[in-house]
Amino acid sequence: MASTNNRPSYILRYFDMIGNGESTRLMLTAANVEWTEERPEWPQEKANQPFGRLPVLIEKSTDGSPDFVICESGNIERYLGRTLGFIPADLRKAALQEQVRDQTFDVITSFAGFVRSTSEEDKKARLDAFWEILDKYIAVYSKHIQDNGNTGYLFGNSLSFADITTYVLFKNVLIGFAKFKEDIADYAKPKLTPEIIKLISTVEAEPSISKIVFKSGDLSAAVKA
Amino acid sequence: MASTTNTPSYTLRYFDGIGLGESIRLLLTAANVEWTEEHPEWPQEKPNQPFGRLPVLVEKSTDGSPDFVICESSNIERYLARTYGLLPADLRKAALQEQLRDQMMDVVIAFSGYARSISEEDKKARKEAFEEIFEKFIALLTKILQDNGSTGRLFGDSLSYADIAIYIFFKNLILDFVRLVADIVDYAKPKVTSEIIKLISTVETDPKLTKFVLKSGDLTAAVSA
Repeated sequence: MASTNNRPSYILRYFDMIGNGESTRLMLTAANVEWTEERPEWPQEKANQPFGRLPVLIEKSTDGSPDFVICESGNIERYLGRTLGFIPADLRKAALQEQVRDQTFDVITSFAGFVRSTSEEDKKARLDAFWEILDKYIAVYSKHIQDNGNTGYLFGNSLSFADITTYVLFKNVLIGFAKFKEDIADYAKPKLTPEIIKLISTVEAEPSISKIVFKSGDLSAAVKA
Repeated sequence: MASTTNTPSYTLRYFDGIGLGESIRLLLTAANVEWTEEHPEWPQEKPNQPFGRLPVLVEKSTDGSPDFVICESSNIERYLARTYGLLPADLRKAALQEQLRDQMMDVVIAFSGYARSISEEDKKARKEAFEEIFEKFIALLTKILQDNGSTGRLFGDSLSYADIAIYIFFKNLILDFVRLVADIVDYAKPKVTSEIIKLISTVETDPKLTKFVLKSGDLTAAVSA
């Protein structure tokens, strides 16, 4: 699909997983910009990344200027969020959404700590910490959804940066993380509130992301099953 | 000191230490706004925070509108940095600074993983992972400083958000983290390059920060000794 205007095109370099790449995929799709994905050989390609890690985003201009390359998932998401209009220009409104993302990252990072642990005692300590922060997240954002009129959106009445990051968190917890802890959904599903379930189905029903949202799984079905 | 304009005033809620609060203190100082600090009783005050954690920033307007409250340390930092001009308005330039702060946090997360490991096998694995990412980060910072003319600034020719964030990383590492890992200074200090030492002293002598920056310690003296 050729660029019809001077909009840049994008390459996302990441692994074949939800993880810290899916929010970027969803925003690029919702914005209807030209983008592709690369799956670098790993760890062979580590040295070729700006900080030896993924994701990496490459923004290619149409005017011949050099590629703009950034890394760090939150940084990539905020850059695209601002550029593509998912984060409001008003700094206060933006901060309230970025805060949600920083917290989803804390939850995901907490689980990553569990995954990396080897001894039983470390595993237990890290898993306990993960459940504690997930429980807090669910409580805070269920109330937020209620206070926003129970429409399934966190802010206003259309898909926002915060909605995407929250959806991806639960997609990780209920589908992606099963790779590292088979029975995680058995523990996590009972914790979901009607508000969170409504957000999940609202996001999955968004026309702008329909062409890719189910590639990584049907979360609405998974939470009802 | 009364506000002479409609500039808001701020309350920072945090613990009495460098940690994730000091960058915020320096940004408030550089912004030359009215601000105070609260040290909430902990953990008694946990339920009274938006997400049960600190820091929290309260922005108080002069026009009687409700307080604006945000949390998550990097979110608070970015909000202040954007509001008071320490992060560029240009999204690409801002992303390159935010990226460094996020990379720094990856190093801190790796250090935390190491410091809180319980078993010997986890300690050993986490120590190796921390040292690898720390050394990579030092090399990256040194190159950026060199590419910017070895002026002691990471970007451009005046104090930036990135300068503050990276300065605080080394302040935590050299002056505080010894309480978590006894030999961290013995390991880390020899690896601090001359370019980074110059960044540290440039930040500590910046006129915008001098009234406050040394209250938590003289880092230039500590790394030069």
